[in-house]
Amino acid sequence: MKSKSFFLMGGVSLLAASSIIMTQTNCGSTDSNADATVVPATNDQAPQATVSTPSTTSTATAPASGGQDWPVWSGNGDGNLFSPEKGIAASFDPGKFKKGTEEVDLSTTTNVKWVAKLGSQAYGNTTVSNGKVYVGTNNESPRDERHIGDRGIVYCLDEKTGELEWQLVVPKLGAGKVSDWEYLGICSSPAVEGNRVYVVANRSEILCLDTEGMKNGNQGFQGEAKFMVDKGKEPLEPTAKDADIIWRFDLREELGVFPHNIASSSILIVGDLLFCTTSNGQDWSHLNIPAPQAPCIVALNKKDGTLAGEEAEGIGKNIMHCNWSSPSKGKIKGKDAVFFAGGDGVLYAFDTKFEKDEDGFDLFKAHWKFDCVPDAYKKDEDGNEIKYPAAEGPSELIATPTYYKGNVYVAIGQDPEHGEGLGCLSCVKADTGEKIWDYRKIQRTISTCAIDPESGLLIASDYTGYVYCLDAATGKEHWVYDTKAHMWSSPFVADGKVYIGDEDGDLTVLPLKADFDPKKDDPIFETNMLVPIYSTPVVANGTLYVGTQTHLYAIEAPKK
Amino acid sequence: MNLNKYAALAVLGAFALFSFPSQAAVSGWTNWRGPHQNGTTDEKGLPDQIDPAKNLLWSYDIAGRGAPVIANGKVYAWGYRGKGPDLQEVLLCLNEADGKLQWEHAYNDYLSDTVYSRYSVGSPTVDPATGWVYLMTTNGGVKCFSPDGKMQWEYSLMERFGRLTFPNGRTGAAVIDGDLVIVRGVTSYWGKQGPARDRFYAFNKKTGAPVWASTPGVAPKDSSFSTPVLANVGGRRVFYAGTGDGNVVCVDVRTGQALWRFQASQGGVNASVVIDDGVLVTIHGKENIDAAEEGRMIGIKLPTTLPAPGEPQAILKDKDLKLADGKEWELWRHPFAMFTSSPVLANGRVYQVTKTGVLVCVEAKTGKLIFTQKLNNEQIHSSPLYSDGKLYLAFPNGRFLVVKPKDDGVDILSEVELEGGVLGSPVAWNGKVYIHTMSKLYVFGKANGEKPDATLPAAAAKPADSKAVALQIVPGDILLKPGEKLELTVNKIDQYGNVVESGVKADFAKFIPATAKVKTQMNASVANNAITADAGNVSSAGAFKATSADGLTGLLRGRILPQIPYEQDFEGYDLTIDHPADGEKYAFPPLAWTGARLKWEVRDLDGNKVFRKTLDRVLFQRAITIFGDPTSSNYTVQADVMTDGNRRIKGNVGVINQRYFITLIGNQQILEVSSNHERVKESVPFKWSPNQWYTLKSRVDVAKDGSGVVRAKAWPKGDPEPEAWTIEVKHKNAHKLGAPGIIGFSPQSLKPVYIDNIKITRN
Repeated sequence: MKSKSFFLMGGVSLLAASSIIMTQTNCGSTDSNADATVVPATNDQAPQATVSTPSTTSTATAPASGGQDWPVWSGNGDGNLFSPEKGIAASFDPGKFKKGTEEVDLSTTTNVKWVAKLGSQAYGNTTVSNGKVYVGTNNESPRDERHIGDRGIVYCLDEKTGELEWQLVVPKLGAGKVSDWEYLGICSSPAVEGNRVYVVANRSEILCLDTEGMKNGNQGFQGEAKFMVDKGKEPLEPTAKDADIIWRFDLREELGVFPHNIASSSILIVGDLLFCTTSNGQDWSHLNIPAPQAPCIVALNKKDGTLAGEEAEGIGKNIMHCNWSSPSKGKIKGKDAVFFAGGDGVLYAFDTKFEKDEDGFDLFKAHWKFDCVPDAYKKDEDGNEIKYPAAEGPSELIATPTYYKGNVYVAIGQDPEHGEGLGCLSCVKADTGEKIWDYRKIQRTISTCAIDPESGLLIASDYTGYVYCLDAATGKEHWVYDTKAHMWSSPFVADGKVYIGDEDGDLTVLPLKADFDPKKDDPIFETNMLVPIYSTPVVANGTLYVGTQTHLYAIEAPKK
Repeated sequence: MNLNKYAALAVLGAFALFSFPSQAAVSGWTNWRGPHQNGTTDEKGLPDQIDPAKNLLWSYDIAGRGAPVIANGKVYAWGYRGKGPDLQEVLLCLNEADGKLQWEHAYNDYLSDTVYSRYSVGSPTVDPATGWVYLMTTNGGVKCFSPDGKMQWEYSLMERFGRLTFPNGRTGAAVIDGDLVIVRGVTSYWGKQGPARDRFYAFNKKTGAPVWASTPGVAPKDSSFSTPVLANVGGRRVFYAGTGDGNVVCVDVRTGQALWRFQASQGGVNASVVIDDGVLVTIHGKENIDAAEEGRMIGIKLPTTLPAPGEPQAILKDKDLKLADGKEWELWRHPFAMFTSSPVLANGRVYQVTKTGVLVCVEAKTGKLIFTQKLNNEQIHSSPLYSDGKLYLAFPNGRFLVVKPKDDGVDILSEVELEGGVLGSPVAWNGKVYIHTMSKLYVFGKANGEKPDATLPAAAAKPADSKAVALQIVPGDILLKPGEKLELTVNKIDQYGNVVESGVKADFAKFIPATAKVKTQMNASVANNAITADAGNVSSAGAFKATSADGLTGLLRGRILPQIPYEQDFEGYDLTIDHPADGEKYAFPPLAWTGARLKWEVRDLDGNKVFRKTLDRVLFQRAITIFGDPTSSNYTVQADVMTDGNRRIKGNVGVINQRYFITLIGNQQILEVSSNHERVKESVPFKWSPNQWYTLKSRVDVAKDGSGVVRAKAWPKGDPEPEAWTIEVKHKNAHKLGAPGIIGFSPQSLKPVYIDNIKITRN
């Protein structure tokens, strides 16, 4: 195990400065009991993965391992980074590069099924469905010599071999850093249902793709030849290696959205609707919201990509930076609800039904909203407003809300570029929007929570590099582990283990147990993967996927 | 020579003609990377321990994000103080002994995109020959002071040369060499310098006269504040610097000739380079050209032969590897991502901290990796200082380490957390270590220590084969008022850039480059090496070619900007160009208007010629265009404005009056007065409909106490002008002068905005 013998004074001083508060309201145990009848979210997973629409073919998969697909971000859309699968690799050796290349020499690896080269940056998360693996990246490792230059990319890979089946290629918007930052690629995790893939591309478009690519002919949208090239360039005739776009919805042109830096949301599928955050935000000045009236979350009809509805809560007026969080779903009093972590620091619970306003716009209303920013972060002791993005001040929400046993969990944070600062993890009752507890020792984070239904343990992490194990029902802290590196990715729990990736490229496996003592006990496993890990490790069909900035590793436990 | 022909001084009242000192012995740490230009000091005996409780000599309460410089017992520090509209950048002169304030100058930010108080990310520079002090403020105010704090000359590069500002605020330091002071920035100016490029500008350090401008790179993705590093190559004086377009460039210091470029990255190269015996080491933290990894440290073999004057720039490595793959020049590489912090070179070893806080030590000549050691979880701007076997390292979280590097890592000698977090770099002089945090300037150590006598590398003597090869006109870039006359100095320069004869007689003829898209001339005439602008109150821009009796040539670029009162209704433009997207006829904007060419077009709208914001590129969704004299003050701007749009999408359009934006904001339905969104920003609700013209009027009045009021009103065009102002904004330290201009913002380039009937009148 690598030792990082330095002391993170900045983090410590921040912790010291924030009176460590862990409040509990409304008697957590009562709430837990009340929610005991709610079916554990994880039980929804298999059905969700196989929901089919009349237009789709059967998607049921029966992998040999007895595992299950991971077809959307968080597996089933509940925002919980948990997999019930067992027998997941607890250790592996990522191997070495073939000399002078960026290709991993598989003979130097252990427990690695395959490695797929990504571009130079990859922020989105892997999804797996029906024998295919999907991952977003940039085009710095061009897979097709016809597509050269800065592009947003989604690879569709063969689940068994990691070989490329087809790729989505999206030229840049040409806005510079403000709305389609160079080389960020596609940050959205592809959402797969049946034979359709839904993804938010870098140009702030929601795209619906055919899982088979162009192999089965060009369906739906016919403009791929022009779509794939920079404005004004000669169209490129699509080949079987190109994505087949079924429909597209341009958030900028249709809704006047001003995406900040990059369009980042992953798509949430709820029945026939797709919910998507718009990335609407500040302009380059970070102090001017060019489109305060544009919606921050919208719903499309998944069949044809037409607009179904939009929020009209006025979130746009109060955006601190932008809206990058992906929505998640759960139940409010037994009915479908969408949880949205706003760029204004407020957690919203939205109805999935819409009403028309006087101009005929379809709007969805919030059942409730909960301000995740403690008042103490908004004003100093003298009552002066603490300006964003001061380390001791307010932050927005970037993480995905986690719905678990009738509660919603989410923590505040900021663009990593803004540095470290105060955080707060809130647990809110889904039916009412009342706070159950909050935990303020956590620092700013963009990581989503992982809750293990067997133990009731919640794992959270922050940008500063700490990993927290709490009791999900009460917020009680069990332990805090320091990775000593910035963390962009989220923790993942499966098979009694916590998987953590950090900016140093370290992949750490911790035991998922309350009595783990980071001061005395070693992690189960730690390895360095050479480049930063910004995406979240996930598990599908017995395989652990770890995406670094440049490579996607498919990792399997040795067969017994 | 009359200084204020170049510098905007007269109205400041701060202008004073002091005799420029000849060689004054300056003792100190006069530039932020020191005399070796690599962060190493020869001084020994600096403290092993840094501890505010034990060896703090003094501190000064002002936030800063750069490094101070020290000269002749004075410390020149750059910081910022205040909040909101009252925040100012401050150049301080403090006693080295006790930190007592000797003098200061404070400046407003204006019309900039700087955010989150990212100010003073850079450093003043002292001329080692004269002791004069040079500073470029974050928004491009280049300023020259005598050591007693008297301003000598200044420019707003933004208003005068179209320098852009960026949210990151990275500014850097001026470099002084010979008679020149060199600053840099991404500019979108006019003509050949119209397209936004990372450029260097050299001014005569005594007079401020522009000498040359250099564009050594390609289209930039970032800005860069890499400080030029001076060197001699075969009788030429050159500098090496990173650029915002990913190149490391070599430029002739005396002429600005772009000599070579090596494209190291797809993004900006922000760190300064270090040089060890023919090997240049550069680092960056962005995408590479030839591999899918972010960041790199590269050793480059320095070319020893350079293109002669007039020859094209050599390309050592380009994004198009087929054009130049760099293999002949690249000696070694390491995959370390290091972005805005500059490396140290000491005893042949390069020390630098990666973005993720890992200290790396590499042998410069061979690239041999000596060690890596993780010291923090991140690094941003702070660059290390090396002294006598010790490294001084500061980090954004406030940690300040003194470490002793060995062959296998470092021993930590001391570790402390300073108040405020650190983006600035430690520097040392006379027994003291200086570090500017975002809270205060700390000075640790002892009252007296060593004062090493190292100086910046001297220029080579004029070679024996020197012969005149070209003319250099000084000033080389001029801005005149109608009717104004200006003396020009014509120099003969040799193949090494040396001035070999001054005051040369030359014939000047109007000159339009064959490649110019907008073929216009400057409305002026030259006789006896003096240029006189025509009297007509119109703007013009163009060039003159000077030819000496022996056939040598040189170029002069210039503009004439109209004086107040001034009107522009665009009716005089012939719409002759077919727009490639929609086929409509249009005319280019006036060439003399900065940064306008790709952002505005004169078009016909219902039989009326109007100025229309272009939509061709999202990159240019906002246009800030300056068209007046930067020394203007006390005036009123009126214009008719309109946005296209609907319920979802509308644009913003407005005017610039004395460094304030007065803008109708479509999507917010407000009338806003702003300067920088974090500084001055006030608005009132104002309902205005798309596709309907409004008249917008504003005036700025400054009182004797320096406070001011910005007044604005808007009304539907054709309606009677309302008596009352719609908005009045008070500003304690008002902007005292500034050029008139216009602003148009079509969010995401979806809906055009229009402007017409611009009228500038005296208050």
